[in-house]
Amino acid sequence: MAMGHQDQDGVPDNLRKQLALAVRGIQWSYAIFWSTPVTQPGVLVWSDGYYNGDIKTRKTVQAGEVNEDQLGLQRTEQLRELYGSLLTGESEEDLQPQAKRPSASLSPEDLTDTEWYFLVCMSFVFNVGQGLPGKTLATNETIWLCNAHQAESRIFSRSLLAKSASIQTVVCFPYLGGVIELGVTELVLEDPNLIQQIKNSFLEVDPSVISKRPNYVSNDANNDINVISQKLDHNVLESDADPVEINNSSPHDSSNGFVANQEGEDSLMVAGLIGETSQAQSWKFMDDNMSNGANNSLNSSDCISQNYANCEKLSPLSSGEKETKPCPLEHQEHDQKKLHHLDHQGDDAQYQAVLSTLLKSSDQLTLGPHFRNINKKSSFAGWKTNIKMPSLGTAQKLLKKVLLEVPRMHDGVIHKLSRENHKKNSLWRPEVDDIDKSRVISERRRREKINERFMHLASMLPTGSKVDKISLLDETIEYMKELERRVQELEARSARRSNDTAEQTSDNCGTSKFNDIKGSLPNKRKACDMDEMEPESCNGILKCSSADTIVINMINKEVSIKMRCLWSEGLLLKIMEALTDLQMDCHTVQSSNIDGILSISIESKSTGSKTVAVGTLREALQRVVWKS
Amino acid sequence: MENSSQESHLRSENSVTYDSSYPIYAMAFSSFTSSLPNRRRRIAVGSFIEEFNNRVDILSFDEDTLTLKPVPNLSFEHPYPPTKLMFHPSPSASLKSNDILASSGDYLRLWEVRDTSIEPLFTLNNSKTSEYCAPLTSFDWNEVEPRRIGTSSIDTTCTIWDVEKGVVETQLIAHDKEVYDIAWGEAGVFASVSADGSVRIFDLRDKEHSTIIYESPQPDTPLLRLAWNKQDLRYMATILMDSNKIVILDIRSPAMPVAELERHQASVNAIAWAPQSCRHICSAGDDGQALIWELPTVAGPNGIDPMSMYSAGAEINQLQWSAAQRDWIAIAFSNKLQLLKV
Repeated sequence: MAMGHQDQDGVPDNLRKQLALAVRGIQWSYAIFWSTPVTQPGVLVWSDGYYNGDIKTRKTVQAGEVNEDQLGLQRTEQLRELYGSLLTGESEEDLQPQAKRPSASLSPEDLTDTEWYFLVCMSFVFNVGQGLPGKTLATNETIWLCNAHQAESRIFSRSLLAKSASIQTVVCFPYLGGVIELGVTELVLEDPNLIQQIKNSFLEVDPSVISKRPNYVSNDANNDINVISQKLDHNVLESDADPVEINNSSPHDSSNGFVANQEGEDSLMVAGLIGETSQAQSWKFMDDNMSNGANNSLNSSDCISQNYANCEKLSPLSSGEKETKPCPLEHQEHDQKKLHHLDHQGDDAQYQAVLSTLLKSSDQLTLGPHFRNINKKSSFAGWKTNIKMPSLGTAQKLLKKVLLEVPRMHDGVIHKLSRENHKKNSLWRPEVDDIDKSRVISERRRREKINERFMHLASMLPTGSKVDKISLLDETIEYMKELERRVQELEARSARRSNDTAEQTSDNCGTSKFNDIKGSLPNKRKACDMDEMEPESCNGILKCSSADTIVINMINKEVSIKMRCLWSEGLLLKIMEALTDLQMDCHTVQSSNIDGILSISIESKSTGSKTVAVGTLREALQRVVWKS
Repeated sequence: MENSSQESHLRSENSVTYDSSYPIYAMAFSSFTSSLPNRRRRIAVGSFIEEFNNRVDILSFDEDTLTLKPVPNLSFEHPYPPTKLMFHPSPSASLKSNDILASSGDYLRLWEVRDTSIEPLFTLNNSKTSEYCAPLTSFDWNEVEPRRIGTSSIDTTCTIWDVEKGVVETQLIAHDKEVYDIAWGEAGVFASVSADGSVRIFDLRDKEHSTIIYESPQPDTPLLRLAWNKQDLRYMATILMDSNKIVILDIRSPAMPVAELERHQASVNAIAWAPQSCRHICSAGDDGQALIWELPTVAGPNGIDPMSMYSAGAEINQLQWSAAQRDWIAIAFSNKLQLLKV
């Protein structure tokens, strides 16, 4: 293998250029080389990378003077610098903004989502065997992940990040004791040739040759990829024994744009991948045997089996790394950045802002050593499982009372207070900027109105004992049925006796009115809130002493009463008194006495604050009549 | 009403018990020190009596003599039981020279705790339509920005107060149902739990949006309490109605709890993160136990066992673990307030 010089971590110093060539050659978005630092055996950290994706704001001190290739490398370097500056914390930055960042430096708002993803990746650390890179290293196998943005976090811990960055395909393969990760914003189906191609053509090329080549400078940006590919192709032919042909015909279609055509092999796509989501596919790759690329094996179960939910999260709760990690600052930074892209409900901007604010200031304290070995003086004893506690009735009794019942206690009092005390200036009322507020208020008003109507309805029923709405409605229904039955009965009877009645009332204004009522009852029942009539009152009106008739019509507070009963001394006065007691103001009274039968017609108005129930009114009137 | 020496099952050097004449629910440690004798701390306790007349008493805790007794004259009437009590988080930074206590119930009330008396400072009503203010289920005083108090209400809103000016800073419809608890994470960031079963995070800089970071597994299982880990803001804990679980959330992985602590033998009533550690949390429940948990780096297959436990013998309704008194955990059960040495 042709390799450049290696630094102390065993990373070729030309790696970034090699990555640049590789990722640009296949027109993917980024390449990352994960490697194990000398100081931290057993983990994979970001060693180098190259960013080739969309760019939002370009900042350069020497605009126009650099070629595309240098721009790419420069962009990556700027991202790396930005990451470094973010690591050192924002407080320092605020103090010395100029010193910290040259004018050409990027700030977070200059980045596209994909660039953010790339930058945040720098903060990740993977245990060997964890996450895509760790798994790749542990198994020495290539992992090709389609639909990375939809992958479960246990397979691909950065899936939420990838989602915000629209990264759809991520590939990891082992390389030089580390792992190279490539990613693209499009769906690219698994293609072993592609990786082999990259390995053969780009990563083993001595990049010093490439960088020397003069026509790099003259590259047209639009044809950049083509040109590079051609150069590479050319270069490969020069430096490598294996001839490689590169298809540059469709540079803008990255899923097909770079189909390597090696030794006549067909491209090896795995059937069944299409349309599948969240599938991690592992592909056994024999490094020395290119033709063995056909050894496809669906190892997704392997990938999943040992990864539990938070395997890649470097949190104290989910990973042991936290305790052993030598650079906690970076750790924290990692968390902070990572959070920038967690997107739950589409409110990612808010969420990002919240998280970055929150995570700036997490300082890590630990309890003293006594905490672990239970302090002799502590009230707490070591935990034992076998203590049983009998169940104690209502769970969370007091807590529920506090949350559910105490507010209701206030409810009543406050309503009362607010009525009595309308001008209490110490209470403050906010301007609420939330539009939903009006919805809540109108809903509350609606409920208040409904309750008001229910109260009214309750007041109209003969029995007023039950208070809850269901029984109120039940009673109303029953009562309506009863009334309808009575109306029918009365209509039938009044039809039979109409002749009689007409004769008797022909010369009497009061009684004729009274008959009118009978005739028009059905209509009134519909129009009015309430009718009431004693059906038995019609039995022998003229002869029977108990034949009392009371008809009460109530429309809001207007009450009209028609009654007929046996006349007695002062009865009219007593009736008036009874009505006055019920806070009825009688403004029209007509009465007549025919053959000892008193006919009264009263128009009155209820003056009390509370509407008097018809039942109550009728009872009061009957009491007066019976007593007399 | 004195420190109860008759509590035979307690080792006296490890705990202090105060017997009240009424059931206790709300409770708070004061971080106020000046003008008090050395190592004396104040604790406020609120009665839970299901009628109008309730009380809040201030107790004095002497760590040297392990005595806990009411301070004469430092007591006031509270209309109905206070749903929460909390002292000013950094009284030295406040404008007042005295300690300030807040209580929630019908309104948010602020009380000035003087040496020999308690005077009401403010009664804060957030309703703009009437004098009627929806009752408050809880509140939290912002430690970073002590002029801010956030209240949670049964009318689905959270209100943010500027208590120095005595005005509402903002009011947000936070949930679809009653909001049961609220907790600050940062100066302008708070979270709340609700009867709608969700934990939501709000940022005052962007009031248009909120983020749901957890929803109870059975739809509409109310979440009753919320505790934000002040040592490591990635973590918060919540409890569900009628559940023995403490759900630990990592705000970076919404929707999926990082841990569920399920060793209580009955429902959990209260939770509090350790003020001096990012990995320890205390919980108390109907099983009469207060459990201290150390969150492991990796959860075992059989769940997480608590590190240590204390049995109170009756349903523990309240739990406070204050930075002002970090070596002591306060629990309340029936008529008792008990301070337990950690």
